[in-house]
Amino acid sequence: MEKHPSYQALAHVLPKYPRAAGCIFQTYNDILLAQQWTEVQVVELESISRAAITGKKPKTDTTLHVVPCSLAETLSFGWLMKAFSQLGDPPEIYLAITSDDASLVYYKLSRGIVKPHI
Amino acid sequence: ANKKAFVWDVDDIATLRSKHHVCGIFTGTLPHLSQQNLFLGVPMVLMPEEVVFLVENEIAVLVDDPKAHLQPSIAELQRWSAQEKELTQLQLAQLAVAAKDSPEMSEEAVKKRKEREAKRKAAAAQAAAAAGESLFTPPADGAPPPQDSQYSMIIPASSTPFEWYNDSTCVYTTISSAKQAGLWEYPSNLQERAKCGVFRDLWEQGMFMGGGIRFGGDYLVYPGDPLRYHAHFSASILESPAFSLTPMEIVAHGRLGTVTKKSHLLCGWDDETKAVTYLSIEWAGFG
Repeated sequence: MEKHPSYQALAHVLPKYPRAAGCIFQTYNDILLAQQWTEVQVVELESISRAAITGKKPKTDTTLHVVPCSLAETLSFGWLMKAFSQLGDPPEIYLAITSDDASLVYYKLSRGIVKPHI
Repeated sequence: ANKKAFVWDVDDIATLRSKHHVCGIFTGTLPHLSQQNLFLGVPMVLMPEEVVFLVENEIAVLVDDPKAHLQPSIAELQRWSAQEKELTQLQLAQLAVAAKDSPEMSEEAVKKRKEREAKRKAAAAQAAAAAGESLFTPPADGAPPPQDSQYSMIIPASSTPFEWYNDSTCVYTTISSAKQAGLWEYPSNLQERAKCGVFRDLWEQGMFMGGGIRFGGDYLVYPGDPLRYHAHFSASILESPAFSLTPMEIVAHGRLGTVTKKSHLLCGWDDETKAVTYLSIEWAGFG
């Protein structure tokens, strides 16, 4: 992992949160290289022991927040609330769910009762 | 009855739906469409959360129906019996009028019937002769046999017209009094309390709730009457902020919701603050 070009941007968080290191690394690479987001940054989320990745989707101007987690983890409603509050209460966050076979899915979680996007 | 609440009066059902936006489910057979169960009728059964909500908001009361049917007196029974007889006579009279009005048989039909009768008589005579018995007296003129007097017994849906029905001793205006009397049990644990709390919160926002089993949730949430709208959300309830939630559930709920053009609502109940927080889940559309 240390020899990977992305390591530098994540060097300050990966050793600090070893349990989440794998999913943070996987999500960061996907966002930066596969989804090709711009202005990608790493934000520490101490209350849930990991880091979030923020950035803008190509050709858009809103900053979105992605919280990585692993399929094997157990979350809770309170955990999600902590994620929201530590990111400064954005209207929505994306949960990036990673797994051992390198698959990654993103789900949008919005605060409140939000009608489905048609 | 048996810890389920039913509504029997059609006017009450209409009020519940239009004024208090509580829908309920029909479970009774429709008398004129009795051979199918796609369309059902009275009585309407209510979800336990709907019952708790209606009683707490003083919109409805719980009645222990079996106990309200007291032993009728002889006089009351006689009056009831007389009334039933009157109804029966009325029905028979109406049937008689209807039979007379039916079209008379055509000439052809009358001739055919006479031929059939003659054949039958001949066959019977042969059989009797073969058996060695003397010919029995010729049967009566070929008149059709008298119709069985058929009438229907009508059982009213509502119990209140009966003279001996008196519910004054078994009406319960609060959930706790009904629980003490052993009539009602819900809510009995945190999970059930959470469901009641979320139901109330969604109702207060003007939503209609239906059963969620069709879409894998606890409720289907409609922004208005279900006859007019498709549900926008399927809701599932998390009974406390610490209750464990796996990412797999988020994937399952999110995907099912998106595919059916709904959002999935995660409703988190906090038993201490008695508040509900909502999170809407949707597939992100990328990745």
